[in-house]
Amino acid sequence: MQENYLAKWLNGELTESELADFEASEEYTAYKKIVEASNKMEAPNFDTDAAWNTFKERDTKSNSVTKVVPLQPYKQFLRIAAVIAVLLTGSYFYVNSLDESFTTAMAERTEITLPDNSQVTLNADSKVTYSAKKWDTKRALELEGEAFFKVAKGKKFTVTTAAGEVAVLGTQFNVEHRPNFFEVTCYEGLVRVTYADQEYKLPAGNSFVVVNGTLVTADKPTASEPSWMHNESEFKSIPLRYVLNELERQYGITVSTKNIDTAQLFTGTFSNTNLKLALKSISTPSQIEYELSEDNVLFYAGNTP
Amino acid sequence: MDNVCEERTFSSVFKTNSKTIFNYIYYKYGNEEKAHDAVQEAFVKLWENCAKVTTEKAKSYLYTVANNLYLNVLKAEKVRFKYAEQHKGGASAESPEFVLEEKEFQQKLDGALNALPENQRTTFLLNRVDGKKYAEIAALEGVSVKAIEKRMHLALKSLREKIEGI
Repeated sequence: MQENYLAKWLNGELTESELADFEASEEYTAYKKIVEASNKMEAPNFDTDAAWNTFKERDTKSNSVTKVVPLQPYKQFLRIAAVIAVLLTGSYFYVNSLDESFTTAMAERTEITLPDNSQVTLNADSKVTYSAKKWDTKRALELEGEAFFKVAKGKKFTVTTAAGEVAVLGTQFNVEHRPNFFEVTCYEGLVRVTYADQEYKLPAGNSFVVVNGTLVTADKPTASEPSWMHNESEFKSIPLRYVLNELERQYGITVSTKNIDTAQLFTGTFSNTNLKLALKSISTPSQIEYELSEDNVLFYAGNTP
Repeated sequence: MDNVCEERTFSSVFKTNSKTIFNYIYYKYGNEEKAHDAVQEAFVKLWENCAKVTTEKAKSYLYTVANNLYLNVLKAEKVRFKYAEQHKGGASAESPEFVLEEKEFQQKLDGALNALPENQRTTFLLNRVDGKKYAEIAALEGVSVKAIEKRMHLALKSLREKIEGI
């Protein structure tokens, strides 16, 4: 007789001979009786509909019909949490690899020491950006505005502006890039300027000036540092418009003009510390008048006889 | 995703499974009240987790919850059964002696059933009373069909031994 033959028998899985043997056995009658009796057994009553109603009622009471909904905000929360986690990790790495950046506001100046002890003096309303991490392999920075560089000797040192690139090995030079105005002045050593895909070598004591897209020859600087380092702004044959722009930057004021030819060239200096003096320095040689009120200056044509 | 959150799906799962769950727990513990509770608990859990349970898995999920509910905490009580009247024909075709004998036998059977190990009793009753196939019982108990056959065999064997007083 096969294993678990009683179970097989109940399931009608015995072979004919097995069944015959089993039916002939002593216990067969007893088993048959048990099975017959068990077939008449009934489990306690269970009313499916009543149970369903109980469930529904309990459901509405404990509000677990909407329990599906509370799951959603939780998921939403997880989603947001995941995004925040990603952002945090991302920004951590991003900030870590982020370039150093220094900015000056109007009428502000700042000095920066680069990782190799090169000095950068940032004139008003300017910005330099460089990667401190990569400084050892690549001495490069980006400039918006004007800055004076005292570069420690070493590998190529590159200043990139939107107008052109200035590359040096170790020297002192000034770079100014303002809208439609690009000026590089070399005070020591040799500076290579790349402007509009052209390379210009600038030996000490030379300036490279581009105004409105045209290269203008400039006189050699006489000083060892740009004048603004001594709180003076110096100009040589520069259109008045740029002079006034510089005045705005140095004092954080608004300059307006009336009946004035701002293209006329200006040669001279103005003080970066004394506004009254500066205004006089500009207006007198240009034979114009000015009016100062609060943070506004109006230059207007004087009554020329 | 195919889950049971849809109310119509859920109610159909309820209607097809609640009675068997009730019986299953009742056969195990012989406690009607707890069996009713188990049905409610199992379906509450299923509803709470409906998004995670597919229609396919719903059945075994329900049994697992119901099963775990009283695991090791509920002491088995006596299972009591009603016996359907056997007579198909006339009201009293059998002699009073026979009816009495029958009653006696049923009482003995009840006693023998209650003396069975819980898993054998549950298996035996699910098969005999609920007409569940071995494979079905195996699925909801989480064991092999062979193990269920073994339980059936042993159950029947010990029932006979108990009844005959061996």
